[in-house]
Amino acid sequence: MTLLRVRDVTKQFITRGQGGFLAPKAPFTAVDRVSFDVELGETLAVVGESGSGKSTTARIAARLLDPTSGTLEFEDQDITRATGKQLARFRNDVQVVFQDPFSSLNPRYTVERIVTAPLAYQGISPKGGGRAFSKELMERVGLNPDHSTRYPSQFSGGQAQRIGIARALAVGPKLVICDEAVSALDVSIQAQILELLVRLQRESGFSYIFIAHDLAVVRQIAQRVAVMNKGRIVELGSRDQVFDRPQDEYTKTLLAAVPRINPEWDRRRRLREQERMQSR
Amino acid sequence: MTRYVIGRLGGVVVILLAVCLFTYLIFFKLSPDPAVMICGKTCTPDRIDSIRTVLGLNQPLLTQFWEFLQGIVAGRDYGTAHCSAPCLGYSFQTNESVWTMITARLPVSITVAVGAAILWLLAGVAGGLISAVRQGTWWDRSAMALALTGVSVPNYVLALVLQYLLVVKLQVLPFPSAPAFSDNPGLWFESYLMPWTVLAIGYACLYARLTRANVIDTLAENFVRTARAKGLQRSLILRRHALRPALTPITTIFGMDFAGLLGGALITETVFGLNGIGKLAADSIAKNDQPVIMAVTLLAAFFVVIGNVVVDLVYTALDPRVRITSA
Amino acid sequence: MSETLFVVEDLTVTLPTSRGPVDVVKNASFTVDRDDTVGIVGESGSGKSMTSLAVLGLLPGGGRTTGSIRLNGQELLGRSEAELRSIRGNAISMVFQDPLSSLNPYYTVGLQIEEGYRAHRGGTRREARKVAIEALERVQIPDPARRIDHYPHQFSGGQRQRIMIAMALCCSPELLIADEPTTALDVTVQAQILALLAELQAETGTGLIFITHDLAVISSIAQRVLVMCKGDPVEYGTAEQIFSDPQHEYTRALLDAVPRIDDLIPAAEEVAG
Repeated sequence: MTLLRVRDVTKQFITRGQGGFLAPKAPFTAVDRVSFDVELGETLAVVGESGSGKSTTARIAARLLDPTSGTLEFEDQDITRATGKQLARFRNDVQVVFQDPFSSLNPRYTVERIVTAPLAYQGISPKGGGRAFSKELMERVGLNPDHSTRYPSQFSGGQAQRIGIARALAVGPKLVICDEAVSALDVSIQAQILELLVRLQRESGFSYIFIAHDLAVVRQIAQRVAVMNKGRIVELGSRDQVFDRPQDEYTKTLLAAVPRINPEWDRRRRLREQERMQSR
Repeated sequence: MTRYVIGRLGGVVVILLAVCLFTYLIFFKLSPDPAVMICGKTCTPDRIDSIRTVLGLNQPLLTQFWEFLQGIVAGRDYGTAHCSAPCLGYSFQTNESVWTMITARLPVSITVAVGAAILWLLAGVAGGLISAVRQGTWWDRSAMALALTGVSVPNYVLALVLQYLLVVKLQVLPFPSAPAFSDNPGLWFESYLMPWTVLAIGYACLYARLTRANVIDTLAENFVRTARAKGLQRSLILRRHALRPALTPITTIFGMDFAGLLGGALITETVFGLNGIGKLAADSIAKNDQPVIMAVTLLAAFFVVIGNVVVDLVYTALDPRVRITSA
Repeated sequence: MSETLFVVEDLTVTLPTSRGPVDVVKNASFTVDRDDTVGIVGESGSGKSMTSLAVLGLLPGGGRTTGSIRLNGQELLGRSEAELRSIRGNAISMVFQDPLSSLNPYYTVGLQIEEGYRAHRGGTRREARKVAIEALERVQIPDPARRIDHYPHQFSGGQRQRIMIAMALCCSPELLIADEPTTALDVTVQAQILALLAELQAETGTGLIFITHDLAVISSIAQRVLVMCKGDPVEYGTAEQIFSDPQHEYTRALLDAVPRIDDLIPAAEEVAG
């Protein structure tokens, strides 16, 4: 079932030059006629370099920005210009996890208040009370539930990102948009968060739009991949198709540029690792 | 660039028109009837009517405002008398032309503002710079403590204390009288020294704190680290890499502060009895002399708005990132 | 056989913090040969950047360094500020992570290259300008004679890093320390900068210390690798040995965590299928 349908979405920003009233206006097209679908339960990755328009696309999909033209359909309902109750319901179904957990979590709120806030906005009181609800959520994302009264600054970067994920999950979303959600993390932490994201999806069956610049990370988590360059989707296909048989020139350049650990060394290390496991 | 300047000046005209309209409404419509004010205590209804006719007060509001604007640009007639442009009307109190009153007093205010600005820039920037370079030393701590005190002392208190000490007790300075520079340069300097100092102290303290903070922030920038890694002399790093980025934002603040002062240093001028725009403003408010209040307000607005444009132009020259590229 | 250029022995760096002095680098040792690249790799807080700042005496206020740092057999630790200044940007140069903030926005790139050259070689502005144009040409900035008068913000991210490299190389240093030089760049630009560094190194024989968190980058550029974790040098060896036969538990865990673009970790495969 198609959860989100994005059709011909374009976003132009009007950049105003200097000169007050007579300033020349120049439209800058950040996203140019972008179309894609997100199926229920799948992970669609949107990759690209800086300025490719991937983050703007994510923001439009979450209705944090309004598109200049084009349409968004969520569960077969046009929500491009939805307001009021319809928009509130959409906001409930679509949650965003941002890159920098510390700047996207209110430093003066406890974890409990942060993760129950989305419910409070909806006027829903969590079953079993806020304390029990947040403890259960924290457990799900691999945090110590006894820390529910702590503040974001008392957690490490990886833990703070888990809080961000917990907040997104509090309202039981159907689509979670991860905007460079693991980019700022150290590689060992990154691996843990990726594992967590995969596990949560398996448990709850929601979809991801996974925005990233790191192609290696994308290969670990996506089923389908959209490659963006200069505001356009230049290639969209299944993960293996895009990575193993890229059609577009830009995709090929991008893939070739990714640094790789010497494959021969890597192979030898794994063989040794396997032997070590077996001899145990 | 030309396009930019023209655009900005267009903005200036619009803002000044808005200020005009606003002050006009406040002073002429919400205050007591000017005709009654002019007429004084012994007054007949006939006389009030004739004053109204001369001033055009019996006409619709917009027509009155239009005539006021016309007066500034092209001059206007009051009854039989002609008031040539720029006409800001006549004082209700003295019947003097408001324009003449302003032009007579503006030099005093400019002298006060320029002298004080030179003092506070020198003292403030130098003090802040030394504090930043010697961060955490006794110099830094005491200078900053002093600066905090200086910012918090109201300047009328300072003015009265200084006046008492230097003029009355020690008699090292004459009582300020605003003589012309050409008559007696020595006396001129001595008379203005106290107003300059009093006005400058508050600003100097503020600028010292600002400079210190900016220089310290700049010294922590990555490009300063790069400069050190290049093997540059410490003095060159400070002079070239720290000072310019640190002082550029101060230019903006200075422009606004200075422009504000050109519209008159109300308290300082009043306390020292200097016949500048600030004192004119204080007197006219006390006597509800509407044309003068109106003119003084417009003048202050004019300086602030123009100051704003000048600051922006200077800023574009100082910071290459906002330099205007002519397309 | 290449000769030894630079030796770091038992380097310990101590920084004052609100909770007392902390050793951010503990007994690190490594050797850079001429023509050689040594990679220092570690996650955030591993002390890898502090190691590089300590070499040039650029530690933040109050940092202390013990051990030994030798360039061509000459001890650098304990030198006076003036002596260190004559080495910085001259015998040993540095390139930093974020080229935009590492360049002063108020001055043209030409001036910023020239001032480094003149600090060590003296000469007139004209001579220095000639050197700067040549330096920009070497790092493949198109139209260098015109671009030299442009400001940092008028260049792209990759070009800015090229300018940083030009600046670092204008006095022909024997050792170049690059601290996360490609981390802030897009992947295609990163590939170009890595190629440029390799090319310049082949040309000049400069020793290179390359600091990064990215193991894949290290694998493609370094002959020897020092792995650091929380200030401890956990493993030091040839790149081949570190990547094919890591001895330390931390190195193994780190290598396991690196996402591979060419194949999959099993956890993701299950879900994908």
